[in-house]
Amino acid sequence: MLHYLGRRASYSVISILGLLTLVFFLTRLTGDPSALYLPLDSTPEARAAFAHLHGLDQPIYIQFWNYLADLLRLDFGESMRQHRSAMAVALEAFPQTLKLAFVAMLLSLSLAIVVGALAAARPRGLFDRIATVVSLAGASAPDFWVAIVAILVFAVGMGVLPTSGTGGWEFWVMPIFVLMLRPFGLLVQVVRGTMLSSLASPYIKTARAKGLPRRAVVFGHALRNSLLPVITVAGDLATGLVNGAVIVESVFGWPGIGKLMIDSIIQRDFAVVQSTILVTATAIFILNILIDLLYAVLDPRVRY
Amino acid sequence: MNPAGIVSLVSAAILAGAAGPALAQGGNHDVRIVLPEQPANLEPCGSIMTNVGQVLNQNITESLTVIDAKTGKAMPKLATSWEQVDPDTWHFKVRQGVKFHDGAELNAKAVAFSIDRMTGGKLTCNNMAKFGNAKLTVKPLDEYTVEIKSDRPQPILPTLLSVVMVVSPNTPVDKAVNDPIGTGPFKLTTFSPQTVVLDPFPGYWGKKPAVTKATYVWRQESSIRAAMVETGEADLTPSIAIQDASNPKTDFAYLNSETTAIRIDLEQPPLNDVRIRKALNLAIDWDGLSQLFGDDIQRASQMVVPGIIGHDDKLEPWKYDAAQAKKLVAAAKADGVKVDTEIKLIGRNGIYPNGAEAMEAMMTMWQGVGLNVKLVMLDVADWTRYLQKPFPAERGANLVQMMHDNNKGDAAFTIPIFYRSSGQYSTLNDPAVDKEIDTAMAATGQAREDDFKKIFRQMRTEIVPDIPMFHMIGYTRVGKRLDWKPDITTNSEIPLANIQFKN
Repeated sequence: MLHYLGRRASYSVISILGLLTLVFFLTRLTGDPSALYLPLDSTPEARAAFAHLHGLDQPIYIQFWNYLADLLRLDFGESMRQHRSAMAVALEAFPQTLKLAFVAMLLSLSLAIVVGALAAARPRGLFDRIATVVSLAGASAPDFWVAIVAILVFAVGMGVLPTSGTGGWEFWVMPIFVLMLRPFGLLVQVVRGTMLSSLASPYIKTARAKGLPRRAVVFGHALRNSLLPVITVAGDLATGLVNGAVIVESVFGWPGIGKLMIDSIIQRDFAVVQSTILVTATAIFILNILIDLLYAVLDPRVRY
Repeated sequence: MNPAGIVSLVSAAILAGAAGPALAQGGNHDVRIVLPEQPANLEPCGSIMTNVGQVLNQNITESLTVIDAKTGKAMPKLATSWEQVDPDTWHFKVRQGVKFHDGAELNAKAVAFSIDRMTGGKLTCNNMAKFGNAKLTVKPLDEYTVEIKSDRPQPILPTLLSVVMVVSPNTPVDKAVNDPIGTGPFKLTTFSPQTVVLDPFPGYWGKKPAVTKATYVWRQESSIRAAMVETGEADLTPSIAIQDASNPKTDFAYLNSETTAIRIDLEQPPLNDVRIRKALNLAIDWDGLSQLFGDDIQRASQMVVPGIIGHDDKLEPWKYDAAQAKKLVAAAKADGVKVDTEIKLIGRNGIYPNGAEAMEAMMTMWQGVGLNVKLVMLDVADWTRYLQKPFPAERGANLVQMMHDNNKGDAAFTIPIFYRSSGQYSTLNDPAVDKEIDTAMAATGQAREDDFKKIFRQMRTEIVPDIPMFHMIGYTRVGKRLDWKPDITTNSEIPLANIQFKN
């Protein structure tokens, strides 16, 4: 196991370094950021001074060398926009996204497992049909539209929830609801599909023949053997959420890393772009490790 | 209990424990303002940027002078009076009995410190853009008198100084700050990724404001900002889209000092023919186009809004006359002008609401009069390459969508950059025009105003270097308990001292 973890870690470090190199050069291909930081009527001298202050007048290979040297000293640079440590900016935003993503995925997964399993237990029944329609609608609905409509209905119309922002439990309801829709919808279909396969297996017939209660057959036997593909899909969805739910963060004013990343790209705030990508890449690496370990927990045949 | 049940309980516990700080239930005179974007920083040197100035200006930091929104003239603030001793030199009397938030005294040395910090070159100071390449030398003459000398005539130095925020002499000179110390009626309490909080400064020299605390938050979506004021989560938002300004009791339109226009590249054929430039102006159905921007929009005849010194109230905007436009194009074609040369219309994504739609409409109207116009929408960094010098060598015939902001009271912030041959946006290269501009810039009083008006008239009737579109209207939403109206300066500052409360 340790050998496996060490091997995965080293591969991931190589991947992250490659990613940071690619991002470094790609961002600098976008051109001179002074147009975005200085007023349009700034003089050429002011633009030259700005470029010099931020090392942007150096040849690109010098800038890259300086960047690598700074990385070794764990100096991730300063935000051109906020005039403070770029990594501090990224690390402030990431927990906000992580909290939202964790709760949304947990609720999506747990509800999807229950709903998908019950739908598969009686295929083409009323519950199955309703679950299919609801899950497909959730997976298809544009989250931007759902978010705005939810605000209009629950905040403006009924006044039972705040429009946006962070704070007590009431601030979490709508963002999590919107974030959950797609993962819930997809996972219900995956659970249902894998459960249908499991429930048609010979060992299930044996379990039924032994007189086991229906609940034990569905949740005790079939569900456990159906979870591996569900975890794979859930892991992929979780990765997307950890990257940051840009639309939810924009609409609800949630200070997460997704919106920070997009804003930094638009603003050509190179150090923050690199820092946010480093943070999310590291988080995804850890998430993938955890998913691999979960496989081993769920399936005793899996050993590293 | 099955795994799903355990997971649900855990999630509920996490949700319950995830409570952060509750929405502030402030006293009666606490206000909550929702801005369109987070202030990038709170560095006083960058206060001309909207997202910084709306929090900082005249709240935390103050300037020597402020511009009267109605007359465009410089009025006393931290300076009580001033005198021009020669074309390059001014003396300013500094207000006495004023303290910074950290207890330091406001005096001539502190003013000199602030100006030297801005001009010293050790940090990026956006506010310097208003001074161009002018070099300032500042010297305290006595404890409350400061001499400011420029390397060139500065007839409107008091106006220019309205952008210079005076900061405590304890402020670092070589790095930007996010915790500014000024003399304003409010001091900074919190600046976080979610909020800025200002509390009153008990030692303020001026009249105590009615506002007892200000909390700034930000939401990118206009409909969310509007909803927040409607539900009472916020008291004021300075910017909402026209489609969200649906309640006449709370939504107020204001002339926001921005003028939209199309810059014509006079150096590139066929745009170097004045008939083509006139045709471009005549071909637009301005009444139709204004539907994109609402009923309150004002047609522009020049690049500054009414109220700015130099604005000519008698100068009429171009009228729609497609037939005349076609005649002009035909006449140019008959004289051998290659009117079918492709003209690139360079738009900028997100420049103003319905900006892309306006460009599409204008392109179609120009094609209708026989010009070969093609629209290209660019991101701001790429668009800037076409807007300002040095222009790309391979640019070809081009028209550039732009929006110009001048709320500093004087056409000196507009005319040189657009029309002087050295102007950053200028495609005009005429020594005679340069001389007229230099004369106007050195003039004072009525002569200055008349000279500026003459230049605008010349541009509108003879040279036609651009296509002025509209003086833009902003929309604010103001909560029912506030007594406050926006004005031309709202885009750059929201002085909390101007906010009163209805009984």
